[in-house]
Amino acid sequence: MDIGQVFTFSALGSQFLVGLSRSMILFIVCSGMSFVLGVLRVPNVAHGSLYMIGAFSAFSIASLFGGSPTGFWLALIFAPLVVAFVSLIVERALFCHLYEREHLMLLLFTFALMLILGDLVKLTWGSEYKSIVAPPFLRGSITIFDSPFPRYNLFLLIIGPLVAIGLWIFTNKTKIGKISRAAAVDREMVGAVGINVSWVFAAAFVIGCYLAGLGGALVAPTVSITLGMDHTIIIEAFLIVTIGGLGNMWGALVGSLIFGLTHAFGVLFWPQFAIVFPYIAVTIILIWKPTGMLKSVW
Amino acid sequence: MKKVFWVVIALFCFSTFFIIFPLSSAARPIKVGIIDCYSGPATTFTYDVRDAFKMAVDEVNAKGGVLGRKLEFTTRDTKFKVDLGISVAKELIMRQNVDILMGTISSSVALALSEIVKREKTPFFCTFSKSAKITGEKGHRYVFGITENTSMIGKAAAVGLAKKPYVKYWIAGDDYEYGHALADGVWGNLRKKRADVKMVGQSWWKVGEPELTPYLTAILSAKPDAVIFATGGASMVNIMKVAKATGFAKKIPMFVHTATELSTLMPLGQQAPEGVLGTSNYHFYFPKTPENNKFVKVFKKTYGRYPKVGALYGYITAQFIIKGFKKAGKLDTEMFIDAIEGMKVGSPVGEIQLRACDHQAVLPMFLGKTERSSEYPFFIATDITTIPGPDVMPTCDEIKKARGK
Repeated sequence: MDIGQVFTFSALGSQFLVGLSRSMILFIVCSGMSFVLGVLRVPNVAHGSLYMIGAFSAFSIASLFGGSPTGFWLALIFAPLVVAFVSLIVERALFCHLYEREHLMLLLFTFALMLILGDLVKLTWGSEYKSIVAPPFLRGSITIFDSPFPRYNLFLLIIGPLVAIGLWIFTNKTKIGKISRAAAVDREMVGAVGINVSWVFAAAFVIGCYLAGLGGALVAPTVSITLGMDHTIIIEAFLIVTIGGLGNMWGALVGSLIFGLTHAFGVLFWPQFAIVFPYIAVTIILIWKPTGMLKSVW
Repeated sequence: MKKVFWVVIALFCFSTFFIIFPLSSAARPIKVGIIDCYSGPATTFTYDVRDAFKMAVDEVNAKGGVLGRKLEFTTRDTKFKVDLGISVAKELIMRQNVDILMGTISSSVALALSEIVKREKTPFFCTFSKSAKITGEKGHRYVFGITENTSMIGKAAAVGLAKKPYVKYWIAGDDYEYGHALADGVWGNLRKKRADVKMVGQSWWKVGEPELTPYLTAILSAKPDAVIFATGGASMVNIMKVAKATGFAKKIPMFVHTATELSTLMPLGQQAPEGVLGTSNYHFYFPKTPENNKFVKVFKKTYGRYPKVGALYGYITAQFIIKGFKKAGKLDTEMFIDAIEGMKVGSPVGEIQLRACDHQAVLPMFLGKTERSSEYPFFIATDITTIPGPDVMPTCDEIKKARGK
């Protein structure tokens, strides 16, 4: 491919927008993981599985309504709630008993959960590839910068900032948000002032998993919904959360932007090795700032 | 006296053991071990192989079995990992005493198993791995290829693409052995037929990459005449979805090996891109022969879904096992192998021969393009050209050369 073609304004512009829309999905999923990491101090390895359950639940809900637009919107509302409910059950029944134990136990538990949830998805939904479609007005593409830009990606570019604003309001303006931030910084003190730390953890876990489910439901119309979705997203999520700064939700935003944009531009400049670019960016960042771009919460 | 008593008892037990043992071995079933990946995105294909195999097994057992014995099978999940594949193969051969091994969808596992069965002298039928090495350079007496491989796909695709006026091609796909082998197969064979074609660029993404939009928009900027996509697994569906969402399929002609297959088109429903060129080994709606219709009917009745290409492979493997042992007349591995070399079996796509020189099944390929269907809730392949099996096979001399003889 000619260099001249690569550096046209239209090619760069359209790749930028495409990368940005991918970053929005990554941000929604990773903010959840960051939130859980910040409050509970444990990276939830099963976060990818919950994202996958979000996508599969969106499929089931959308199919109930025959793939109509109503089905899509209901799926977007209820699939994350299904995931949140599943995570609440898991947390209250099993997870909370491990809080007193050694930290490693929590990590191992989330790993076991990932394996179990993966097989449960296979048992519940089977192995066939699933697919849902966006409502008609979100299908097809519009031409921006002389290139087709899928309407659905434009939708993601709107949803992403809305979720970010929602999260900001939640963590800064609501009581539970402020308590979660406090628990992330100093859980003993939060317990000392009489707040039930266990319920704070439960709330944080459920909210983080809700975001994973939301990410899964939002990505569902753009990909084939398959087993194995959990494994592909979890590695990226781990890296993004690490380069952003542990537990820092805005770090998750920065990390997602870096990941999505380096990938999109990498595809333009060197399509044969495009998959390497985000990881090179991660390596450079970690060498330059080992604790991540933004301040870690702990 | 006591010592003699115990010796007599021991001899008695020993001899009854020898009396009982031959009696039970008369009813000993023929055991097949299926080693495959039943986790992750590959499962949608591997379940079809197993289910069609089971269908054929139940059918033959109802008629009295093979050589008066029941045909039995057991499955093992490799989770797409080579080390797991090796350990379950050893377990099946040494502890379960299987007579035949079959599987798998992962070429790396298949090649590892091929090494094992060469040592253990157990026949291994490769049911879904597409590496041409399996029956090519790494082939041997104990390994059999039932599925088409990347060089066969390449030849078939080249037949179709050579007729088109496209000159500047872009090649894109999943960055793993299958993706590259597929691309090399198609491109190599196309260049042989049309010396004027040029590759203007390549893109490779990680296996199962969910976000393919940046790749397609980058390719659009380059403006090739056509694109060859070498996708596997989840990417097969993802590429079609993104091509539809960006309108790519309408702007630039696409060839995807599995574009016309049911596994790709069924999940897409009415939202598949139209006019995408693809190759496939099996369509349940073509050809509408009595064998195919019966196969589809029984499969749908038993499992509640239409058979996909994996079902064809599972079924053909069963036919070779059944007919092979019947022809050999005995439960003897070497006689079985001699019996099936060059054997022809019936199948939903016609008579299939197992070539003697490389143990590869000679399968026809179907080249078609995607189109909306009035009959089904998903797209189907139309303008189907049947490329006969012999036209896509490498010659026996090429195989001999590759194996270094």
